[in-house]
Amino acid sequence: MSLRVDLLEGGRIALRSLGVNRLRTLLTLTAVGIGVATLLAIVGIIQGLNGAFARQLASLGTATLNISRRPYVVTGDWWRYRNRKQLTLAQMQVLAQQSQLATAVVPEVNEDGRELTALDQSVSAVDLIGTLADFQKIWGYEVPAGRFLTDADSDAERQVMVLGADVAEQLFPGRSPLGQSVRLDNRPYRVIGVLAKKGQILGQSMDLVALIPFNTFLAIYGKRDFQIDVAVDDPQLLDRLEDEVTGIMRRVRSVSPGAPDDFSVNRTEQLADTYRQLTGALYGVAVGVGLITLLVGGIGIMNIMLVSVRERTREIGIRRALGARRSTIVVQFLLEASLVSAVGGAIGTALGLGAAKVVSLVTSLAAAVQPLTVLGGILFAAAVGLIFGIWPAARAAQLDPVEALRYE
Amino acid sequence: MLIKLEDIRRYYTVGTEVVHALNGVSFEVSKGEWVAIIGQSGSGKSTLMNVIGCLDTPTAGRYWLNGHDVSGMSDNELADIRNREIGFIFQTFQLLPRETALGNVELPLIYRGLRAKERRERARHALDQVGLSNRVTHRPNELSGGQRQRVAIARALVTEPSLLLADEPTGNLDSATGLEIIGLFEQLHRQGHTICLVTHEPTLAARCPRAIRISDGLIVKDGPGPQVALENRPERARAAAT
Repeated sequence: MSLRVDLLEGGRIALRSLGVNRLRTLLTLTAVGIGVATLLAIVGIIQGLNGAFARQLASLGTATLNISRRPYVVTGDWWRYRNRKQLTLAQMQVLAQQSQLATAVVPEVNEDGRELTALDQSVSAVDLIGTLADFQKIWGYEVPAGRFLTDADSDAERQVMVLGADVAEQLFPGRSPLGQSVRLDNRPYRVIGVLAKKGQILGQSMDLVALIPFNTFLAIYGKRDFQIDVAVDDPQLLDRLEDEVTGIMRRVRSVSPGAPDDFSVNRTEQLADTYRQLTGALYGVAVGVGLITLLVGGIGIMNIMLVSVRERTREIGIRRALGARRSTIVVQFLLEASLVSAVGGAIGTALGLGAAKVVSLVTSLAAAVQPLTVLGGILFAAAVGLIFGIWPAARAAQLDPVEALRYE
Repeated sequence: MLIKLEDIRRYYTVGTEVVHALNGVSFEVSKGEWVAIIGQSGSGKSTLMNVIGCLDTPTAGRYWLNGHDVSGMSDNELADIRNREIGFIFQTFQLLPRETALGNVELPLIYRGLRAKERRERARHALDQVGLSNRVTHRPNELSGGQRQRVAIARALVTEPSLLLADEPTGNLDSATGLEIIGLFEQLHRQGHTICLVTHEPTLAARCPRAIRISDGLIVKDGPGPQVALENRPERARAAAT
């Protein structure tokens, strides 16, 4: 007896037995199907989320460093960062002169939660940014309408403004904002450009922004606590840029050797880390739920296989008497269990894909299921059947042929 | 010698009690012989049949079947021996209900690893031998008792085993059909098959050239069929009366 013969004959028997107890088989494979569907839908949603986030991160620019008093993600001693010395324009100028790798160095100053008005419309919670021309290059902003800020705007402290996509839409629904006047903190600004839409990152809109020239910002708000954005040509050089920037900043800020940095060098990757930390546990739980559902299906398979072994005790006895080895019986029942499970898996895959599709239609999430996941779902279901079929199959093989032949 | 048993013992433990089903049985069967093993229920004849059929292994003693020392074989080796050397015929036919007559007869050939085409040819031939060439695609529930037993005999013959082992082959048949089956055995005997027939029916054993009587796990009589089978008649009559 070869394994080939065992598999062929076992497969034939398994196919036939599927047809015999149709309702019972259907119920069992539904249980497995639901498990696979749950798991696939969850995996699909996760893949969709990850994909969307990865695209958003990429849109932020991957070859950029941000130097600030505090890191992007503050954990623990926030006051430690608050007490750090502010960055100065003089420091920035030294950095721009001394850095070999930096292709652009630009200051950025922020004021959160501003309200903008234009005629009868208003938008609140706008992130106001004061910066220079290179800001566009560093963060990869596109300006489909109008133009971006120039350094001349800043030198002349012009009251001009570039609007984020959401701000433009809400202030000027269905109209072009270019050349229009916008009021911010009782001062008029002329709109010179509108940014392309960037979407959300970690639930925050990247398009609820308004940009004004750096010096205009300083003149009006008198704020000195700004950040410095530094760009490099090649993302691969980011580590070296970070070393270089850190060295220059320590020197220019007179940090004694051995003392910790009194500034933070931030990367967009840190956002990705935070994203993974935030969502990792959630994904773990979701996948766990899917696995438990599949476990329930597996127990169903085990149950039905135990019943099947009992019902077919005599058949097993006959086969053993006619020369079937224990291994042949094991293969026969394992194949049957995997087949039921794989069919359930296929049904579940269809359901899971459907669920993922519905999610992507109803929500803005693009729940994407990769082709490999589909194959994986079916194979995984078959594996579940295989695992939960082991015990019943072993019981079938351990039957004493004499006893089995006598079984009524 | 086709069969040689040497001091075969088989003990079971049932709870705390040890049951001595076979207490040292020795006999030989030559190729081409037709031997009845006769005994009442509980005599040990079923255990003896299971040992001869390699479905059960003796507690002690040695057993040679067609030159193979079966007593020390592994489970897999026993399965292969059953497949090659033995053709079983059971009282309850033991056919697979979902398979056709042909499918049932093919079954032992599957376990021998033969290809489908050869299996089918040989199975058809075996069904032909037992006069069922017109019932090939019938399932067991579409066949009469006698026809079912013929399918079972075809299944036993299809592997060309060295020994046909029949356990009460007429037990579930009416007497006329039973006689037909016995006629078939006689024919197979004439063709040179070696047959072991286990029964409690003296009239059936009396038709065999040789009979071995088992009682309490021991051979009490071994001789020509009619002599061994009919000797015990009065005892049977008494047993029937009580």
